[in-house]
Amino acid sequence: MLTKFETKSARVKGLSFHPKRPWVLASLHNGVIQLWDYRMCTLIDKFDEHDGPVRGIDFHKQQPLFVSGGDDYKIKVGLLTMKIVKIYNNENEWSALISYVSYFFLLCSVLTGHNHYVMCAQFHPSEDLVVSGSLDQTVRVWDISGLRKKNLSPGAVETEVRGISGVDLFGASDAVVKHVLEGHDRGVNWAAFHPTMPLIVSGADDRQVKIWRMNESKAWELDTCRGHYNNVSCAIFHPRQELILSNSEDKSIRVWDMSKRTGVQTFRRDHDRFWVLGAHPNLNLFAAGHDSGMIVFKLERERPAYAVHGNMLYYVKDRFLRQLDFNSSKDTAVMQLRSGSKFPVFSMSYNPAENAVLLCTRATNLENSTYDLYSIPKESDSQNPDAPEGKRSSGLTAVWVARNRFAVLDRMHSLLIKNLKNEIVKKVQVPSCEEIFYAGTGSLLLRDADGVTLFDVQQKRSLATVKISKVKYVVWSADTNLTNKYSNLKVFSAAIMICNRKLESLCNIHENIRVKSGAWDESGVFIYTTSNHIKYALTSGDHGIIRTLDLPIYVTRVRGNSVYCLDRECRPRVLTIDPTEYRFKLALVNRKYDEVLHMVRNAKLVGQSIIAYLQKKGYPEVALHFVKDEKTRFSLALECGNIEVALEAAKALDERSCWERLGEAALLQGHHQVVEMCYQRTKNFDKLTFLYLITGNLAKLRKMMKIAEIRKDMSGHYQAALYLGDVSERVRILKNCGQKSLAYLTAATHGLDEEAEALKETFDPEKETVPEVDPNAQLLQPPPPINPLDTNWPLLTVSKGFFEGAIAAKGKAGQMAADLDMDTSGGEGWGDDAELQLDEDGFVDAPEGLGEEGLGKEEGGGWDVEEDLDLPPELDVPVGAGGGTEDGFFVPPTKGTSPTQMWCNNSQLPVDHILAGSFETAMRLLHDQVGVVDFGPYKSLFMQTLSRGRTSYLGLPSLPCLRGHPQRNWKDCGAKQGLPAVGLRLSDLISRLQQCYQLTTAGRFEDAVERFRVILLSVPLLVVDNKQEIAEAQQLITICREYIVGLTMETERKKLPKDTLEQQKRLCEMAAYFTHCNLQPVHMVLVLRTALNLFFKLRNFKTAAGFARRLLELGPKPDVAQQTRKILAACEKNLTDAHQLNYDPHNPFDLCAASYVPLYRGRPVEKCPLSGACYCPPYKGQICRVTQATEIGKDVIGLRVSPLQFR
Amino acid sequence: MAAQQGDVDELFDVKNAYYIGSYQQCINEAQKVKPSSPEKEIERDMFLYRAYIAQRKYAVVLDDIKANSPPELQAVKMFAEYLSSESKRDVIVADLDKKMAKSVDAANTTFLLMAASIYHHEMNTDAALRALHQGESLECMAMTIQVLLSLDRVDLARKELKKMQEQDEDATLTQLATAWVNIAVGGEKLQDAYYIFQEMSDKYSSTLLLLNGQAACYMAQNKWEEAEGVLQEALDKVGGPQELAFLVFVCLSGLCIYVTSRYLSQLKDAHRAHPFLKDYLAKENEFDRLAMQYAPTATA
Repeated sequence: MLTKFETKSARVKGLSFHPKRPWVLASLHNGVIQLWDYRMCTLIDKFDEHDGPVRGIDFHKQQPLFVSGGDDYKIKVGLLTMKIVKIYNNENEWSALISYVSYFFLLCSVLTGHNHYVMCAQFHPSEDLVVSGSLDQTVRVWDISGLRKKNLSPGAVETEVRGISGVDLFGASDAVVKHVLEGHDRGVNWAAFHPTMPLIVSGADDRQVKIWRMNESKAWELDTCRGHYNNVSCAIFHPRQELILSNSEDKSIRVWDMSKRTGVQTFRRDHDRFWVLGAHPNLNLFAAGHDSGMIVFKLERERPAYAVHGNMLYYVKDRFLRQLDFNSSKDTAVMQLRSGSKFPVFSMSYNPAENAVLLCTRATNLENSTYDLYSIPKESDSQNPDAPEGKRSSGLTAVWVARNRFAVLDRMHSLLIKNLKNEIVKKVQVPSCEEIFYAGTGSLLLRDADGVTLFDVQQKRSLATVKISKVKYVVWSADTNLTNKYSNLKVFSAAIMICNRKLESLCNIHENIRVKSGAWDESGVFIYTTSNHIKYALTSGDHGIIRTLDLPIYVTRVRGNSVYCLDRECRPRVLTIDPTEYRFKLALVNRKYDEVLHMVRNAKLVGQSIIAYLQKKGYPEVALHFVKDEKTRFSLALECGNIEVALEAAKALDERSCWERLGEAALLQGHHQVVEMCYQRTKNFDKLTFLYLITGNLAKLRKMMKIAEIRKDMSGHYQAALYLGDVSERVRILKNCGQKSLAYLTAATHGLDEEAEALKETFDPEKETVPEVDPNAQLLQPPPPINPLDTNWPLLTVSKGFFEGAIAAKGKAGQMAADLDMDTSGGEGWGDDAELQLDEDGFVDAPEGLGEEGLGKEEGGGWDVEEDLDLPPELDVPVGAGGGTEDGFFVPPTKGTSPTQMWCNNSQLPVDHILAGSFETAMRLLHDQVGVVDFGPYKSLFMQTLSRGRTSYLGLPSLPCLRGHPQRNWKDCGAKQGLPAVGLRLSDLISRLQQCYQLTTAGRFEDAVERFRVILLSVPLLVVDNKQEIAEAQQLITICREYIVGLTMETERKKLPKDTLEQQKRLCEMAAYFTHCNLQPVHMVLVLRTALNLFFKLRNFKTAAGFARRLLELGPKPDVAQQTRKILAACEKNLTDAHQLNYDPHNPFDLCAASYVPLYRGRPVEKCPLSGACYCPPYKGQICRVTQATEIGKDVIGLRVSPLQFR
Repeated sequence: MAAQQGDVDELFDVKNAYYIGSYQQCINEAQKVKPSSPEKEIERDMFLYRAYIAQRKYAVVLDDIKANSPPELQAVKMFAEYLSSESKRDVIVADLDKKMAKSVDAANTTFLLMAASIYHHEMNTDAALRALHQGESLECMAMTIQVLLSLDRVDLARKELKKMQEQDEDATLTQLATAWVNIAVGGEKLQDAYYIFQEMSDKYSSTLLLLNGQAACYMAQNKWEEAEGVLQEALDKVGGPQELAFLVFVCLSGLCIYVTSRYLSQLKDAHRAHPFLKDYLAKENEFDRLAMQYAPTATA
C-alpha cells in the first residue's frame, strides 16, 4: 500500500472522491464535512452544518454539488464553490438535485422490509437496483424500476436524470425486494455491487466478508473471506482489478483475491479502527476513514519501470518489455517477461553492452523482493515476442555496475557483485544502506537514513557523501562535453538536489508536492515533473514551472521542445513545451549573450518579472535591454557603470538629481568630460572650477573666473584666480572688495611693486597702518599643468561586454539587430569555411606528402647508424638464453607466429604482402602480375600501405607499444586464416578520380597526370570482393590511362614550336589524336574545341566540320554551341581539307603513348601490362610512359585484386 | 577471488592514474596522499617517479633519487637513466646483466619490473620474462603478458591472464591486460576489449592511453571512421611530445593516406629514435635495396 495523503480529524464516517478533480470529501463523526485536495495535501474548505455524526456523503457526478446526511435526520446539499449556482433558477435541475439527494439517504430509512436499522444502501451503477445491508443480518437487493417509471418526467433523458421525485412520492411500493441474502450471523455493515458483474460483496459484525452472486431469479452466497478479527465495517470491489478491499474495527485494511478468495495483503494501523472505504471512480486511488482521520492510498505503484539508452527507451508494459525508438517512434515488444509475480516491476536497469536488463520486483514484504536478469533476444517478432528464460534471485535492488557485473542489494542489506551468469563474484561490506542507485561504471550510490554515499565497488570504499534524506530517484546527466563529469540529481519526496560527480551540492530546490520524475535535456537543464507540473531547474538553482499537467507523467527524455514521457498506463507520449524561459536563464548563466540578445529581440519574454530577475541576479546590463522607461534605464545603466547610456538617459530626463548621480558615477570612472557636462548642467561652479584645475584646463578655468566675476561671486572669483596663480587679478579682487591691506600685502609679497606702491598710497596714514610684509614669505604658485588632460582617465581595457557593444551599436544604427544577426551567422559561415579548409588541406597536402616520401629516400644515409643500434639486443639474446638454462626453472618461450606471417601465407595479393611488411614477395608479385620493373613510383605507396597494416597501443606506461594487426576478415578468421585490413578502398580511389577531373578542368595538366598516375598505380594494391568490383578496378585503370596519355600529349604539344607549316600540321595531328582519348564529356568539349579551332585555322574544313558535329553531339553550353554552329556553317561551304594530315577519323586506331602516332588496327603493337597503353614495337622492354613503373610488352599473369581471381 | 574485505588501498588513486596513463593526475595524487607507513611511502614515490618517467621528465627523477634512497627507488632511477641517455644504455644493460646473474631479491618487485622494462626495450624478451617470472605481483603478470604478446604468444598470454584473473579479476591492471589479450585474439573479443577501455574512461577519465586502446579496437574491427573520431579526441588532448609520437604512430594505421603522410612528416622531424620510425626507415632502405633488383630490359 502506498499512502498518498493522511489527515488528522475526528472519526471519519463517510468518504467520496470527486470524479475529475483531486478532491476528496470526508464526513466526520462530529458533524463537520471536510473538502481536501489530496494532491496538494491541503484542506480546501470546511462545512459545519450538521448536528451530530455525518454518516453519508457524496459528490454529484456532474454538478459542483455534494449531499450529506447525518444523524440529525437532515440532508444537506452543499455547493463546492461559493458562487450562487444557476441551479436555483432552473426548476428542472433543482428537482433533479432533490431526487438525487433522495436516492442515497432516503432509501436507508424508507426501504421497508428490513427488521432493523439499515446500515448502508447503494445504487447499482447501471441498473435499477439497490443493495442494502441491515443489522437484521440480511443483505437485500431491491428493484426500483417502479420508482423510475413513476418519476420519469416526459421528455427527460433517462440516462441523465435518474427519476425525478418529491419526497412525498416515495412510497413503499416503489422499491420491491428482489433478493434477500442470508448468511451473515451478525448485523451487516456494508453491501456493495460489483461495477460490471452480477456480484455483491458484504461485510458484517460476524467478522466475515461474503461474496454473493445473483441472476434474475435468485441470489446465492459464493464464498466467505475470513481473516478479520473484529467487525467488518466496509467492503468494496476494486473498480478495475479482481480484488476486494475490506476494512474493520480490528484496525486493518485487507485486500482479497476475488477469484481465489484468499487474503493478498493486510495493512494494519496501531490505534485506529477503520470505518469506511471509498474508491475513486477513474483512478487507482482509495480512501479509508478511521478513528482519527483519513488516509488516501493506492494499492501499488503506477510508475512504469523504464530505462533510457541513447535513442532507445525500454519499458515494461503488461508483462512485455517494450522498446521505443525516440527518433522513429517505433514501438516494439522485444520480449515477454516471465510471469509469476503478482507485483509489478519496480525498477529496471539496462546494460547496452550485453543488451541485458535487470528487472526488480518489490514485494509488500521487502524481504520477498526479487529481481530477474534477462538478456534481450537479438531479433524478435513484435507480435509474438520470445519469452526468454530469465534468472531470478532474491534481492531488493539490482543495478549494473559494469559491462559484465551488477550489484545486488540483498535482503540482509549487504551488497553482492554478480556476473552475467548470476553468480556471486564478490561480497562487499558496505556501510548501512537501504537502497542502491546506479552511479556510473564501477560505482554505486548508497542511500542510508540521512544521506547518500558514492561508493566505489572495486576499491570497496566510499568516495563522497552528501546529507540528504529520503532520496528516491537519481538521474544522471551526461555532460554535454562528453567529459567524464556528471552532474547528478536526486529527487526525494519533495525536494531536488543537484550535485556534481563528487557529490558536492550545487543547488537545492524545495517542492511542496511530490517530484515524480526527471530528465536532463541536452543543454544541461533538468526537466522534472511533479504530480501536476512540468518544471525546470538549472544547476545554478533557478527553477520554475513550464506547464501544468492533468495527470502525472514520467519523463523519459527531453530533446529541444519535446518532452518524451510515459503515462500511468505506460503509453509513450510526447509533450511540447516552451523552453524559452529556461533557455534564456541558461544562456545568461553560461554568459552566452549572443543567444540572450537574440531571445531578447525575438522572443516574447519582456516584462517586469524578467527585468526584476535580471537585476536580482546581477545582470543589469542585460536588463538594460528590456527597458524603455528612461528612469529605470538610467538607474540600470548606473548600476552596470555604462556611462554612455546613462548620459543618454540623463539627457532625456534632464533632472538635477540625475545629473548629480551621473556626475558622481562619471567621476569615479574618471570620465571627466561627462563630469564637466554634469557640473555645467547642475551649475555647480565650484566643483567645475576645481575640475578644470585638476585637469589643467587653464583656458576654461579662466573662463570660470570670468563667469564668477559676472556672477559677482567674490570668493569663487578669488579662488579661481588663486588656482590660476593670477596675482594681479587677486590683488584686483581684494582691492575691489575693500580688502586693501590684503591687496597690498599680496602685491608686495609677489613683487608687484608698482601695484603695491599704488595701493600704499591709498592708505590713509593716520587711520590705517600699512601692514608689514613678511620677509620670509615664499612664493606660492600653483604648478603649471605640463600636459593638459584632454582625454578621459585611462581605464583598464576591459573587453566590451556583449551587451554594451550591442547597446552602443544600437545607438548608432537602428537596424543593428539585423546586422548583428548577420554577424553571428557570418561566424557560423566562417566555421563552415574553416571546415572546408580542412578538407582542402587534406587535398593540398597530397603532393606535399608525396614530396616528403621522396625526401625520406635521401635520408636513408642515417640507416646504418640505426641498424647498429638494433644489433646489440640481438647479440644479447644468446647470453640471456644461456642464463636461462642455468636457472633451470624458467624456459623462455619461443617466438610465436605473428599475424603478418599468416597474412603472407594466406594471400597472393601484393597488397597483403606489403601490409605484412614482406616487400620482397610483394615486389615479386607485382612484377609477375603487372610487370612492374621500376619500383620508384611505388615507394610512397608501399610505405603508406605498410604503416596502415599495424596499429599500436600503449600497454604499461614507459614500455614499448603493443601492436595490433587489423584484419579485414576479423569476424570469422580464427587464429590462422587472417588477412590484413586494407585501408584503401575502390571507392576512395574513385572519389579521388573526381579531384583529378577537377584539376583537368582547371587546366593543371601536370598535376592531374601526377594524380591519375597515383590512382593507376594504387589499383593493383586494392582488394575487392566481387566480380563487378574487379571490372570497376580495371575500368579505373582504363580511365586513368586515357587521361594520362591524352594530357601528357597535350602538355607535349604545347611545348612544340609552331613556326613552320610542318610543325603546325603536327600540332593539329596531336590535337586530333587527343579527341580520340576516352574522356569525360565536359573535357571532351574542351578538347574538341581546341581541335576544331586549330583545324579551322589550318583550313582543313572537312575535318573541322567533323569535330564540330562531334562537339554539338555532346550538347555544349548554348554560347559554345552557337559559335560551333557558325563555324560548322562556314566549314560546310567548303568541305575540303587544305593539307594532308596523318589522321583518319574514320579508321579506328590506338595511340602510341610514347611517340603519339596512330597505330591503326592490325598493325603490330606492344602494350603495357598494367595500364594497357599501346606502343610501337620499338618501345618494347622500355618503361611504360603512362605508369612509369612497368615494362612495355612484358609477359605477365595479369592484374590480381581479389581472392576470386585465384579460384 | 576472495575479496580482501575492507582492505582499502590508500594508494589506489595513485596507482590507478598511473596505469590508465593519467600521469599528471598520478603525480598530483601522489603529492596529496599521506601514506600510513614508510613502505607505502616508498611505494608512492615509486609511482610518482615512474609517472615522471612516463612524462619523460627524467631529470626530475635523476635529481630527486639520491644514492641513499631505498633500493626500489634506485631501480626506478636506473630505468630513468636508461631511457634518458642513449649513450649510456650499453653500460647500464651490462651492469644490469651482472646484477641479474647474482641472486636477486625477489621481494623487490620494482627492481624486477624495471629490469624487465629495460630488457623489453632492448628487445631481450627472454631476459625480461625471466626477470618477471620471479615476481608475483599483478603488474609483473601484466608486463609478462605484454612481453608475450610482443612475441605473438597469445596462447601463453591467455594462461598468464587467467592467473591474473584468479588473483583479482576486477583490478585495473587485470582489466587492461584482458583488453590487450582480447585485441590480440581478435574476433568477437575486440568488442569486449573496447568496452573495457570505454568503461575505464567513463569511470576515471579518458586518457590518451585509453583512447588509444579504443582506437586500436575500432581499427581492428575495420571501423575506420569511429577510430578517426576517437583519435581526433585524443589529438585534442595531446600534450607532450611523447604522446604526439605514439599518437602519430597510431594515426598511421588505416586512415586516409594524406593525413597519414602529414603525421608521418611530423614524426620524422621530431622523433627519429622512435622504434616505429626506426622500423620505418629500415623498411625504406629495404625497399630501395630490393627495388634495385628490378630494371627494364631496355632503356629509352
